[in-house]
Amino acid sequence: MRTLPAWTITVLSVLLITAAWVGVTSGGLVRDLFLPGPLDVWSGLMELIDDGYKGRPLFLHVGMSLYRVGAGFVTGALVGTALGLGMGYMPKLNALAAPFIEFLRPLPQLAYLILLIIWLGIGETSKITMLFLAALPVSAIAARDGVANVPPERVRVAQALGASEWQIFRHVIFPSALPEILVGARLAAGIVYGTLIASEIIAGSSGIGWMVMDAGRFLRSDYVFVGIGMIGLAGIVIDQALLFIERRVVHWAGR
Amino acid sequence: MSDHAVRDAQIAPSAVPSRTCFRLRLKTDFMLGVLSVAVMLAGWWLLSAAGVVRRDLLPTPPDVWAAAVEVVTRGYRGTTLWENINATLGRLLGGFLAATLTGVPLGLWMGSSRTTNAAINWIIQFMRPLPPLSYMILLILWFGTGDLSKGMLLFLTAFPIIVASSAAGVRCVKLQRIQAARTLGAMPAAVFRHVTLPSAAPMILTGLQIALAAAFSTVVSAELLAATNGLGWMVISASTFLRNDIIILCIIILGLLGVTLAGLLRALDKWAIHWRGRD
Repeated sequence: MRTLPAWTITVLSVLLITAAWVGVTSGGLVRDLFLPGPLDVWSGLMELIDDGYKGRPLFLHVGMSLYRVGAGFVTGALVGTALGLGMGYMPKLNALAAPFIEFLRPLPQLAYLILLIIWLGIGETSKITMLFLAALPVSAIAARDGVANVPPERVRVAQALGASEWQIFRHVIFPSALPEILVGARLAAGIVYGTLIASEIIAGSSGIGWMVMDAGRFLRSDYVFVGIGMIGLAGIVIDQALLFIERRVVHWAGR
Repeated sequence: MSDHAVRDAQIAPSAVPSRTCFRLRLKTDFMLGVLSVAVMLAGWWLLSAAGVVRRDLLPTPPDVWAAAVEVVTRGYRGTTLWENINATLGRLLGGFLAATLTGVPLGLWMGSSRTTNAAINWIIQFMRPLPPLSYMILLILWFGTGDLSKGMLLFLTAFPIIVASSAAGVRCVKLQRIQAARTLGAMPAAVFRHVTLPSAAPMILTGLQIALAAAFSTVVSAELLAATNGLGWMVISASTFLRNDIIILCIIILGLLGVTLAGLLRALDKWAIHWRGRD
């Protein structure tokens, strides 16, 4: 028996699950309250695009979320990377900062969001501060390990050739650590994005995560499905964009 | 790394620190760490005790200690601290273990069979980038606000990570090893048991560590959203009474739990996968 090519099986599997979805929803086995059919979701998407959600257009909700992700991620990744480079370069700084970084990294971000909300109010500042704190330890650890993993003979060669401390950092250590820094940045972006969606769901008044939660409260399952789809799509776009940058910037990685 | 170290030792023997020197550095590093934590605590104390920030917004370290004593001896709103820690850890480990028990076999199967991979991989790849909280509301709609929906949420958080890493682990096994074992007459089951599984194990364990960290974040979010016990519930409940001392206490407990959980899995990794990195 000849085996089918892989893509045929994938297509068959997608078709099978879609057929099951259509069958279950149109056959009236489950109420559309719990599981809307594909057509309901499609018309929900059209409604959201035409009329927006609760007075704001759909793209504005997506834009709000992306703005928060961007602000928290860029500040957190920059400060974290700078700190991590310093920690990798100066063991003393590492000893001073490591306890906080190691404590902050596994800490569930939403736990300190509540405290930040009490301190800074429910607006953008508390959310962006939380995202900053979410990105910081991940970027710092990636940069520190990146510096630590620079092959020492590269540094020795540069020293032997008479390079100054700054030249070694600028032309040897930084480029060697950059691939790891960028991998860390992508990891941080994923964490920041997931944290933002969670924070919008728990304490938001706008944004795509809030839309999903609010639609769920009013049992608009079709909007919930559209929202989840948008959240997944935006997550993939963010990740692919960073992967693209990574490949352009560190084309020498792995050589 | 070790390779570099060896070459390094040949180039400049004096540059390689001796054992005692290394111990000495570890000790000063530890002292520096203690010092920075102490300075941070002192700064925090000064800031709140001197009245720079309102004390109900930023309680002093002794206030937090008093809250800890209060919660341990008298409990918090009819629940003890242990109950809440147990509730959080129970949910976390329940969802994580269920995902491990189902995800590792599925991932191994996907890694070994192209057909299974083609049929299932798109679902895993679709779920992986999705923030778990985004579908929490659907799970609440389907399974109610009880522990079932939270268990499902944690299961779904960990599951795609574990499946993807297990499948990748099998796919990364060096073909020469399998061919060598087959040439020596090993049956497929023996190849799987003695070649594929040990070669894939490091990547599976890495996946488990990432999955546990993700599930830990998610369990607290889920408890903030809808729960009647657990550390996340304690945080959100304390916030409605402006008990910032209890919130800070919970954050410290959560941080220590996170560090402990990650450390335990890393120790398990080191003990069970002693061949990691010796390819």
